[in-house]
Amino acid sequence: MPDIVVCVKQTVDIYQLKPHPETLEPQFSQAQSKISDFDLNALEEALRIREKHGGGKVIVVSAGPSINQLLIRETLAMGADEAHVISHPSLASADGYVTAKVLSKLIGKAGRWDLILCGEASLDNSDYQTGPRLAEIYKIPHLAYVSKLELSGQSIKAWRTMEDGIHISSCSIPAVVTVGLEINTPRLPSLLMIRAASKKPINEYKLSDLGLVEEDLKPHVQLLELKALKVERLRKKLEGTPEELATTLADIILGEGLVKR
Amino acid sequence: MTVLVYAENPQSSARLTATAAGYLPDEHFNILHTGELSPQTLSLYGRAGASTVIRVSHEIVRNGPAMIAATLASIARETGSKTILLSSSKYGKEIGPRLAEALQGSYATECIHLERTGSGFKVRRLVLGGGFQATLLLTKEPHVIGLQTTAEVAGEDGRTPNVVEQSVGVEAPKVELVEVQRPEASHVDLERADFIVGVGRGFKKKEDLTMVEDLARVLGAEIGCSRPISGDLKWMSEDRHIGLSGKRVRPKTYLALGISGQVQHLVGIRDSKLIIAVNTDPNAPIMSESDYAVVGDIYKIIPLLTEKLRERLGRR
Repeated sequence: MPDIVVCVKQTVDIYQLKPHPETLEPQFSQAQSKISDFDLNALEEALRIREKHGGGKVIVVSAGPSINQLLIRETLAMGADEAHVISHPSLASADGYVTAKVLSKLIGKAGRWDLILCGEASLDNSDYQTGPRLAEIYKIPHLAYVSKLELSGQSIKAWRTMEDGIHISSCSIPAVVTVGLEINTPRLPSLLMIRAASKKPINEYKLSDLGLVEEDLKPHVQLLELKALKVERLRKKLEGTPEELATTLADIILGEGLVKR
Repeated sequence: MTVLVYAENPQSSARLTATAAGYLPDEHFNILHTGELSPQTLSLYGRAGASTVIRVSHEIVRNGPAMIAATLASIARETGSKTILLSSSKYGKEIGPRLAEALQGSYATECIHLERTGSGFKVRRLVLGGGFQATLLLTKEPHVIGLQTTAEVAGEDGRTPNVVEQSVGVEAPKVELVEVQRPEASHVDLERADFIVGVGRGFKKKEDLTMVEDLARVLGAEIGCSRPISGDLKWMSEDRHIGLSGKRVRPKTYLALGISGQVQHLVGIRDSKLIIAVNTDPNAPIMSESDYAVVGDIYKIIPLLTEKLRERLGRR
């Protein structure tokens, strides 16, 4: 009966994000926040492990500049047992180093655990850092890019999607596992589960509760500039019958398309 | 300044070094090499711009990325290297964060630009689904950087690097590689292809991709795909997946067939010289990211196009 910690990140919904027409900076205020996609896959996998192996706790941890209680409730409604969160304005500029440090302190509050599950990367920064950094902090193995996971006794076996194929790897627990969206489809909580979630605990911490001071949140990497990438394209729309379009396409491909002759 | 370089194989290490040398022409590059070192590989490293090759036992690779990270950390401490360069492959991204954590340094991956400044390394990388570019300053030493490789290794004119044998006595949590299931399809090098035909969810079933294979054959093109095709549907192998979590390609022409153009896919094709899209939906995101946006049915257009190209190119 493994106890599992799941790290979730509240991010901006990048699909709603539009750049400012002049400054080209992202207009964060006009986009909603959500739980980072792959983190929900990590949570779903933790719930499935609990169901299959009969018991164990699923504990959600989250750190950010301003954690929305409703989003954490969603993870509890999906089936997590409890949540440990910290909101602090300085976490808006957190890098992978700060994030892993703060999460490890939250995990320290969560009690015992056998596995840490994370999304392989976050929707916004796509850094691929949190999982392997936590593994290094605890000096435990890390299995990345996992699309299928099996737990038996004190070991886990993972099918990992790499560039050259599927790598099947195994290690002992405790371990960190980072997952992609192929591993499962996260469940949608029923009304009953949503109601039940209102009784589950969300523990909120201050920096001092975690034995941290403001100085500990100073990142090793600073963001200097953030701007939309503009690639100018012709944007020429072509319409017509399939026959006409195929002819035009052949002209373009043979003209500008630089086919090896 | 000395830069320690490591990538998953000698070719990647050499290309990574050559790429970095383009950004940092005045620095010394030390490549970490595991196992036997052939004269050909040594020459390759020399042509890439390496001044020293540090050779260690191949044993460390078998114990997984944590062991590589521990080895790099140990060598960086011993040699005083304040900069460690990795590839931004999936393997590189397993090593980098562990290494940065072990050294308590700063780290960024998938960097597309590199510049040493008085206050640290300035790098650029794509964020927020690839639609935005972040300029970052890595302040804390040592700097661990995952770099996108873009350069090729020069054909000649390299000096032979010094070879230093090193024994490594580090420990790391062990991961055992049980088996590698390689896809049946032969290896495809999408990053170097001049013409790529990309397929997406507009295709209704796997068998329909034969018409794309016919077209690609006539064009001498490689075939790539969006994430659903290789991930959820498994119609193609992962090495054909183009996008944020797959390959970043830079062909002269990218022909997107039945691809809607989610931002994660667009980031993978951004560096294409010419983008042509065929889609039934004139409002699909790919259409506004293309040079030519053909509004039409791929099922009707592809066979006709293949036939016309075949006639005009005189190919079978």
